[in-house]
Amino acid sequence: MAEELEELKTLQTTKIALRINDKPWSGEVPVEEVLLDFLRYRVGLTGTKRSCESEVCGACTVLVDGKPTSSCSYLAFEAAGKSVTTVEGLAQGEALDPLQEAFIRNVGAQCGYCTPGQLMTARALLLVNPSPTYEEIQDWMKGNICRCGCYPAIATSILEAAKIYRERK
Amino acid sequence: MLKPFRMMNPTTVSEAVKELEREGAAAKIYAGGAELVLLLRHGLVQASALVNIKRIQDLGRISREGKNVRIGATVTHRQLETDPLIRAELPLLAYAESHVGNIRVRGQGTLGGNLCFADPHADPGTALSVYETTVKIAGKNGERELPVHEFLLGMYETALRPEEVLTGVEVAPLPDGWRWSYQRVERFYRPTVNVAAVGQVRQGKFEEVRLAVGCGGPKAERLWELEKKVAGLAVEEARRLVVDSKRYLVDQLDPVDDLLGSADYKSYITGVLLGRALEQLADGRGGSNG
Repeated sequence: MAEELEELKTLQTTKIALRINDKPWSGEVPVEEVLLDFLRYRVGLTGTKRSCESEVCGACTVLVDGKPTSSCSYLAFEAAGKSVTTVEGLAQGEALDPLQEAFIRNVGAQCGYCTPGQLMTARALLLVNPSPTYEEIQDWMKGNICRCGCYPAIATSILEAAKIYRERK
Repeated sequence: MLKPFRMMNPTTVSEAVKELEREGAAAKIYAGGAELVLLLRHGLVQASALVNIKRIQDLGRISREGKNVRIGATVTHRQLETDPLIRAELPLLAYAESHVGNIRVRGQGTLGGNLCFADPHADPGTALSVYETTVKIAGKNGERELPVHEFLLGMYETALRPEEVLTGVEVAPLPDGWRWSYQRVERFYRPTVNVAAVGQVRQGKFEEVRLAVGCGGPKAERLWELEKKVAGLAVEEARRLVVDSKRYLVDQLDPVDDLLGSADYKSYITGVLLGRALEQLADGRGGSNG
């Protein structure tokens, strides 16, 4: 456990049970703990990245019951009874998700820091809209910033992955 | 890391009010957290207790109230953007809500939280200002109601008292045949200026209009005087009137320089957006209500 979590004395904890990447988790969390810290330090899933901590950049995006969520600003106790999916939950064993494969194929990243968030926001889009247009992708993804400027490759990747998801069904 | 606090989870409005009374000024209402968690993190708000109103079921509902639509305080922006009743009855609101922040902010942020935070750069307040909107407030002495323009008082300032809870809003749909237009300019993540216009057009003339501008100054403003002058005019005359009303707009909006633009820029853009909105109302390119 990271030292950071023990710096301030918590006033109240609450017991929560939830599913994280399809596995059950239960335990006590301080009520002020945000989902990002919970995932990174308490659960040990460091794929979810910390960046702006202001819900602007999208690097910390995870899915809560399928909805894209800024884990930096979402209190962990709110996830009780819900299902959280992080970037670690995308691949099935050794087989990457079509989105991950498409990002690699199209070079949808340079430094890669924003990529977990991009993937999760894209996953959320394809859950509600299996056939998005380029414009719909731009609109949905506008809250995910890529400092390297890979936006066209990211959009292309999402279009390609959408096609693969549809063909698999 | 957030400074530790306690979390109260009332299941009724009266319990919430009691918690607020008991905790005093150190307690804040927690509805979605989209704004509050940021403020707590940056130390702009201190709270030793949060009163979580998300477990009060009534506050999470959208329902018909006679001809009106009632929206609970903890309804999210995303719900307002996508809900069939809102899209059918309050289409300008649904459209404005679809521009709030980004998909994550819309999923977490609530209408009540947005109105109570009263950030001058916001969309819901401007949209609600052109509807007949009543804000519903509960406190220790029961309920009270305020029109939305009496609720929003200034920059981060509302008529809500510390021990009160905004429970929701009641909004009257536009009269049959009215058209609507919503215009906005955005830089970074919040609107620089937005304009909501609704009205009825007959034989190329505005019969009646309602106009509101947001983000230019400290709060969303209805342009009551300009509305009266626009009534009876054809679109070209109305546009000219807007251009000639620069002084009036500056007086009404009280624009300030900030990161999103200078006061001059904002009053100029307000005129441009008002002109576009009136044009859309006139030729029906904006939405219409029946």
